Order: sequence, then C-alpha cells, then structure tokens
Amino acid sequence: MPTERARTRRADPEERTLARALREYARGVTGGLLFSLPLLYTMEVSWAGFIARPLRLLVYLLAGFLLLFGYNRYAGLREDASWADLAFEAVEELGLGLLVSVCILWLIGQIDSGMPVFEIVGKVVVEGVPAAIGVSVGAAQFGGDGNGGKGSQGMKGREDKENPGLPGHVILGLCGAVLFASNVAPTEEILQIAIESTPWRLLGLAVLSLVLGGVVLFYSDFTGSKPLRPGDRHGSGKVLSLSVISYAVALAASAFILWFFGRFEGVSLAVGVAQTVTLGVASSLGASAGRLLLLS
Amino acid sequence: MMTSMTTSKIAKHPLEWIVFAVSLAIVTGTVGFLAWDAIQGEDSPALLSIELGRPEPRGGAWGVPVTLHNRGDETAEGVKVEVTLETPGAPPETADFEAAFVPRRSKREGWVTFRNDPSRGRLSGRAAGYSTP
Repeated sequence: MPTERARTRRADPEERTLARALREYARGVTGGLLFSLPLLYTMEVSWAGFIARPLRLLVYLLAGFLLLFGYNRYAGLREDASWADLAFEAVEELGLGLLVSVCILWLIGQIDSGMPVFEIVGKVVVEGVPAAIGVSVGAAQFGGDGNGGKGSQGMKGREDKENPGLPGHVILGLCGAVLFASNVAPTEEILQIAIESTPWRLLGLAVLSLVLGGVVLFYSDFTGSKPLRPGDRHGSGKVLSLSVISYAVALAASAFILWFFGRFEGVSLAVGVAQTVTLGVASSLGASAGRLLLLS
Repeated sequence: MMTSMTTSKIAKHPLEWIVFAVSLAIVTGTVGFLAWDAIQGEDSPALLSIELGRPEPRGGAWGVPVTLHNRGDETAEGVKVEVTLETPGAPPETADFEAAFVPRRSKREGWVTFRNDPSRGRLSGRAAGYSTP
C-alpha cells in the first residue's frame, strides 16, 4: 500500500533519514557486540552449536524472536507501534545479530568453509540470539539525544516506559535475565557450584537473589527504579509481589537457558534445581538491575 | 481496529527495507535449514572411523596424517585415536592423540608420528574411546 505509507510518512514528524538509520544500525551493532562478546569468546557456547539438535536450536531461535518482539513492544518502540512495526524491527535485529555473530565467529576462527553447514549454522544461531538482543538494546538505548532510541519514542513512549505494567515487567525482566545469565550459564562452574553447595547455602543464594531483586527495584535509587514514598498505598505488598515475580521470571529464564545447553540431561532433580538456583543469582540481577539498564 | 494493528505506523527509510529484506532472508534461511535438518535427522549414535594418509618424514620422525570421521548423528567428545605400527623385526610402536570433539557427520584431522619408517611395516588404527557430551 504505497499510498498509505506515503500518507503516514508525511504525517510522521520524525521522518527517518538515511543518517538516522545508519546511526541506529551503528548503535545496534555496537550493542550487539557489547552484550555478546563474552559469549562469542566462550568455547562452551560454540560447542553447544554442534551438540544441540536442530529442533532445540529452532526453539531457542523462536524464544529469541519472541523476546525481541516483547522488548520492542515495551522498551524499544513507541507505544502506538503496530504489530507490523514490531515484527519488522524484530526480524531486522535478529538478522543483524546473526550477521554480527557470523563476522566475529569467522574472525576468531570458530567457523570456516571446511565445516559442515549444520555446524556453522548451529554456532551462528547460538551466538546470534544474544547478539540480536544486544542489537535491540543498543539501538534503543544508546542514543545520545533524548528522543534518540528508535528515533520514535515520543512523550507517550516515555510514559509507557515508566509504568510498563505487569506484562512489561515480566518481558523486560526476561530480557535482562537472559542477557546476564547467558554469559555464565554455559560454563562448567554453574554445575560445579551446584553440586558442591549444601542445600542451606543454596537456600541462602535464593534469598540473596530475592532480596537483591527487591532492593534494586525499589530501594537503591538506581536510575529508573521506583523509590517508595511514605504515602504509597499497598507499598510493601507491591514490593513483595513484584520482587517475587522478578525472581520467578529469573528462575524460568535460568531453567530455559540451562535446558538449552543440555545441563538437565542425566542429572537428578535436586542437581537440576541447584543449578537453576545457582544461575538464578545472575538472572535475578539481570531481571532487576539489567531491566533498569534496558530502560534507562 | 485490526487495520491499525497491522499497518506500519513508523515511516521507514529505503535502507531499512533493504536491511529488513536481507535479515528476512537470513532468518528464514536459518529457520528453513534447521527445520529441514530436524525433519531428516536420525538418532544413530556416533559412528567413528579413521583414515590414514601417506606417511612423510617430519622433523626426524615419520608423520602420518589421520582423518577422523563421525558418520553418526551424535557428537563424540574426547575421542582417543590410537595408531599402531608393526614393523618386521622390531617391537610394535603405538602413537595416539585426542580430539576434543567430533560433531555429527563431521571429520577432524590430526597427526601421529613414529620413529620407524611406516612404509616398511603395517599401520593399523582405531578410535579407542569417546564420551557423549
């Protein structure tokens, strides 16, 4: 519908120029590298590329796409963006993330033309999804000017961001948790710590995660956090419930990442839970502090 | 309100359409490949075999290139390869190396070295053992 597009373009006060688009891509690629370089330099992650079966990679890719979609909805694009806009951005970011991962993997010698295609595709997908989330965060948040971002956050978008509601809280928490937890999830250390820790210490880790989440979200005066005023009604109940939701999101993200890296295969339920709780500290920090960074 | 949810509200530069088209191609290509791979993939365990190349003198010893194939559908981890040289009138010589990973339907290359000239004896090799990741 070219006429429709022409009309909305004229109506859009923030028309996208070439320079603006290029700046966004530059920010996106930088963001992608910033968040995925630790993963790109981790051998266990490349190994997962050829150990993981294609079906598991598909699920992982789909989960990544949904996260991008959700992130764009609640933090990346302005409030009135349509589903088409969200999907457009998500595909762009996923494509750029995969491209960034191809370039870096080739430069560090992890892929070459002598490898079978599935091995190359596997490695690129495993590294490309966190890179894509990084692209999305970079493009949306690294902008210098106030309305930088996607070049499309009007004042409405800002208001929406300050109070994203429960679905937004969950989606942004998931993005932050995945970004932070995926850096440590594939390492042997998670399994090691999980096996060696006593149940009481694990319980301690769980309490620490929960408290950290609440402190970051409400008390520490992080940029973007919501300090409670004395007059706030339902204050303590809200703090408790949002902290618990944050931690639940963090645990779910931990479990998914661990499942993807095959860490639940052949282990007892206790060891599986122990690993999830161990990784949960990182993902809980991501779900709270990381979430605020994503929104800054 | 369906139209307002499905119609783009944000003007896009032509460059963004190009990036979108390239991205769409990459993403659908990747998904398509993975789906195709998932449909036709079988579940046979790792099937390892080795192929010995032509011996050549290397740094005062004889080097033999070894190609390690995995024709199964599972990755083999920590594959130990042993090659034995039996020369008439001399004790048998064994050389080995370990390959960290041999992914499914892939190959890895390595070398073994011997003090005696392998062309005067008989070479035999095997993948002695591996673990499943």
